[in-house]
Amino acid sequence: MLQFWRIIQAGGRNFMRNLWLSTAATAVMTVTLTIVVISFISNSALTSTIKGVTDKIDISIYLADTTTKDQTDSFKARLEKDDNVQSVTYKSKAEALADYRKQNAGDTKLLQAINEADNPLPASLQVKTKDPKKLDSITAIVNQSENKALLDPSSPPSYSGDRKATIDKIVRFSNFFKTTGLIMSVIFVIISTLIIFNTIRMAIFTRKDEIEIMKLVGATKWFIRGPFLFEAALYGIIAAFIAAALAYALLLGGGPKLGSYIDVQGTINFFRSYPVVIILAEMIIGVVIGIFSSLLAMTRYLKL
Amino acid sequence: MQMILFDRVTKVYPNQSIALSGLNLHIQPKEFVTIVGSSGAGKSTLIKLLTREESHTSGKIIVGGLDYDTITPKDVPLVRRRIGVVFQDFKLLNNRRVGENVAFALEVSGAKNREIKRAVPKMLQLVGLAAKENVFPHELSGGERQRVAIARALIRQPKILIADEPTGNLDPKNAWEIIELLLKINRFGTTVLLTTHNKEIVNALKRRVITINRGRIIKDEEQGRYTLEAPTNLKGAK
Repeated sequence: MLQFWRIIQAGGRNFMRNLWLSTAATAVMTVTLTIVVISFISNSALTSTIKGVTDKIDISIYLADTTTKDQTDSFKARLEKDDNVQSVTYKSKAEALADYRKQNAGDTKLLQAINEADNPLPASLQVKTKDPKKLDSITAIVNQSENKALLDPSSPPSYSGDRKATIDKIVRFSNFFKTTGLIMSVIFVIISTLIIFNTIRMAIFTRKDEIEIMKLVGATKWFIRGPFLFEAALYGIIAAFIAAALAYALLLGGGPKLGSYIDVQGTINFFRSYPVVIILAEMIIGVVIGIFSSLLAMTRYLKL
Repeated sequence: MQMILFDRVTKVYPNQSIALSGLNLHIQPKEFVTIVGSSGAGKSTLIKLLTREESHTSGKIIVGGLDYDTITPKDVPLVRRRIGVVFQDFKLLNNRRVGENVAFALEVSGAKNREIKRAVPKMLQLVGLAAKENVFPHELSGGERQRVAIARALIRQPKILIADEPTGNLDPKNAWEIIELLLKINRFGTTVLLTTHNKEIVNALKRRVITINRGRIIKDEEQGRYTLEAPTNLKGAK
């Protein structure tokens, strides 16, 4: 325990003594961890955005006013048989009108134009899907001739058109972003490993005499190696704090600008609720990178 | 029991140069032994074998009861802690203060802080550097630096102190002070092994002198003088 404490002290002293080298290594580690955490943030923000968008997807199949209750029920039953359908609910003309009134509560002119006696709104089947990307089977059911006859000719089912294209775009974009983030993280982890490897190697060269003396005085291998390892771990620990702060600032600053398109609030909330978890996770990544690269440098250059 | 025993020790370096060939050496506890010989005679190899910087090719080395054939790489630091070594170039940690340099030898062997705090000033007093505990090595004279090195070597109270050309970088006055310090340490009961090229010192010491040439002992006298050749009647003897 005492020896451990001495190793820690020596590592800290070396860190301070080679402040420029330490700063460089810590900076690279910070960039790496920031990229890792941002990749994680965008991942979670995009996932929740997609979830938010897709939750809202109701396919509305508008029915002609002539459709009977039996016809509606059998149509509903046929839709429910489809694997991708989560639920189907019937919305009557009256309910549609009530919803419409609620949505346009402020607009008296519109409300005046519509009245119960002459309700222009069609009844509909609201379909919630399991996977909004695979609507083809549902489309096929709707297009069966027996079903097609029941549709309101003036308003086609609402999945077609703009909305689907937007959803597709979001899904594509987020997949691209997730992959890019992952690749960037990997690249930067490799770069920072190399830089820390070099930092430790330089430290070993500049302290060659010192290491020699330690050996002659009877220091064990771990007593000599330990400070190097701790120094590298220190890069990771310090970088974890900076990277977390940086990412949080970025999230707060950049979040509102993305707000209308992408849901960052969930990620901000996650940051606020679990700062310890985030910093700890970054620390673990940083310390692992640091220790791995310094062990690599030592096995190659520190002949004990 | 012998403090240092070399029995037909041979050391061949990887480049096939023979540094020691069948060397026999017996040193008793509390002896003060000077080893002389021209450069390349094998003095440095002898010392490197003792500190296990090198391992011998054949023969037997027993130091303080420890058979060097039984040492594993893991034991090497422990072997070095049993022996104090002083070098010509001092080998001090230049970024640590005098007191810290001496303390380092104890830190390495896991001594408690309280113990270190007590032992270091005492040892610095013994070598006459009580006032310089918080000074960096570069602020000291050569003689003072060598005293720091001696203090570091002695702080673990080794049975053996090896002084490898300790006066090589010192002026005569400082050199003598270091030799006197070694004699004082020897009087306290530590076996001292000194190598030197300094003729006056060897002749004035009137202690046991071993002369090495080409990896063999060519002369071993109880009250020896500094020569590099073997006396004709003793050639090839132990």
